[in-house]
Amino acid sequence: MTALELSTRGTVWGFTVQRFAPKSPPYVVPEGGFVPFAVGYVELPEGIKVEAVLDCTDFSELDGLAQVTLVAVDPVPRFATDAAMARGSAEALEEAR
Amino acid sequence: MSTGVSIVGAGLSKFGRQPGRSGRELALDAIQAALQDAGLEWADVQVAFGGSDGAGLADTLVAELGLTGIPFTNVKNGCATGGSALMSAVNAIRSGAAEIALAVGFDKHPRGAFDPRPEDWGLPAAYGEAGLMVTTQFFGIKIARYMREHGISEKTLALVAEKAYRNGALNPNAWRREAISAADIAAADMVNDPLTRFMFCSPGEGGAAIVVTSDAVAARLGRAVKLLGAATRTRRFGSFEVFSPSIQGLGVPSSVSADAAAAAFAAAGVAPADVDVAQLQDTESGAEVMHLAECGFCEHGEQEAMIANGDTEISGRLPVNTDGGCIANGEPIGASGLRQVHEIVTQLRGEAGDRQVADPRIGFTHVYGAPGISACTVLAV
Repeated sequence: MTALELSTRGTVWGFTVQRFAPKSPPYVVPEGGFVPFAVGYVELPEGIKVEAVLDCTDFSELDGLAQVTLVAVDPVPRFATDAAMARGSAEALEEAR
Repeated sequence: MSTGVSIVGAGLSKFGRQPGRSGRELALDAIQAALQDAGLEWADVQVAFGGSDGAGLADTLVAELGLTGIPFTNVKNGCATGGSALMSAVNAIRSGAAEIALAVGFDKHPRGAFDPRPEDWGLPAAYGEAGLMVTTQFFGIKIARYMREHGISEKTLALVAEKAYRNGALNPNAWRREAISAADIAAADMVNDPLTRFMFCSPGEGGAAIVVTSDAVAARLGRAVKLLGAATRTRRFGSFEVFSPSIQGLGVPSSVSADAAAAAFAAAGVAPADVDVAQLQDTESGAEVMHLAECGFCEHGEQEAMIANGDTEISGRLPVNTDGGCIANGEPIGASGLRQVHEIVTQLRGEAGDRQVADPRIGFTHVYGAPGISACTVLAV
């Protein structure tokens, strides 16, 4: 068996929105409380579809064949839309000031 | 040459919440109903198979049924428990090991049941901590993708659930017996987009039992329904199932439902187009839509026009889930597969009362469940 390095950018294959807080345990409610989040599968150029939490500024960004970028692998893979990436950069810049 | 197999008795317990009654008691109700339906007694049964997901061991039922000494095998196969028990009973008849066999499935799930733990599924604790250990997410993602690929509308999802409640209202044994309009279904709380609360089945309670026999015994008893074909399958590589950190392989995922349905039709020597009435797994309304195509009843995407046209209504070209399905009957995991067979037997005998389909000759049943299992039957009169 050989390890295959996967791409970090892919296409949203399918997704849903988690509208209610999952049962705790096992779910760990984030600081500041539960907010609905998107979860789905990202199809990578290698063909595999990876389950991930999907960051976006609006759920409609995930429609169609949205392109997303890997932003974290722990505790589960996390991909972000370009809009969420841009917002993330802006927030980081704000914090740095 | 091995004998053909017939269903001579089918029985259900009441479905829906029954405080103070155990799952085992519901199983006994179903078995007594099936035996009475067949005109047989427990002492006539030569071999039995059965199980529940969380309501106890079927073989302990002999304490109440009678200690006749027959082989009674426990089956624990998730949503396919009933289907696997029936398959085992069928094979016992075919092999000549017995001439009269019984299959039983039952369960009694509390409200909000199905609390899977990541470790039981071979998943890291982090998977649950991140909020991905939620069964309904799988159904939402699968139908959301399917709608985009094949032009299925949100209205169609609401129409499927509306039909389930309407058919449930016609079924004296259903749990949910109040019609709900498609508008109210669509406007209900969103669980996992695009699926609202009223589009899902709920964990429920109930028992179902089927008596199968050789052709010779069936000829003697009468009212028999022929089992033309049956098949159970597990998933192949590349399938998409609940709690999957990834979907392996390239392209369109494989479908265990398609595999099981094709095997059952091949064994039966008939085609999906020959079917007059069908029971398809409707964990939520999108599942019924997708299973119509996966089981071979239409091409992907044709469901939109079929459902708008009323084809799957009791009065339509291919009535589906005439008893209200899982949505109206609830989901007692062990029982659902045999409830479906009970409904088809009832329809083929012309005994379905207010929900009777006009003169059906060939019927089909399909269950699907985690972690990628399916059981199908083709029945005929």
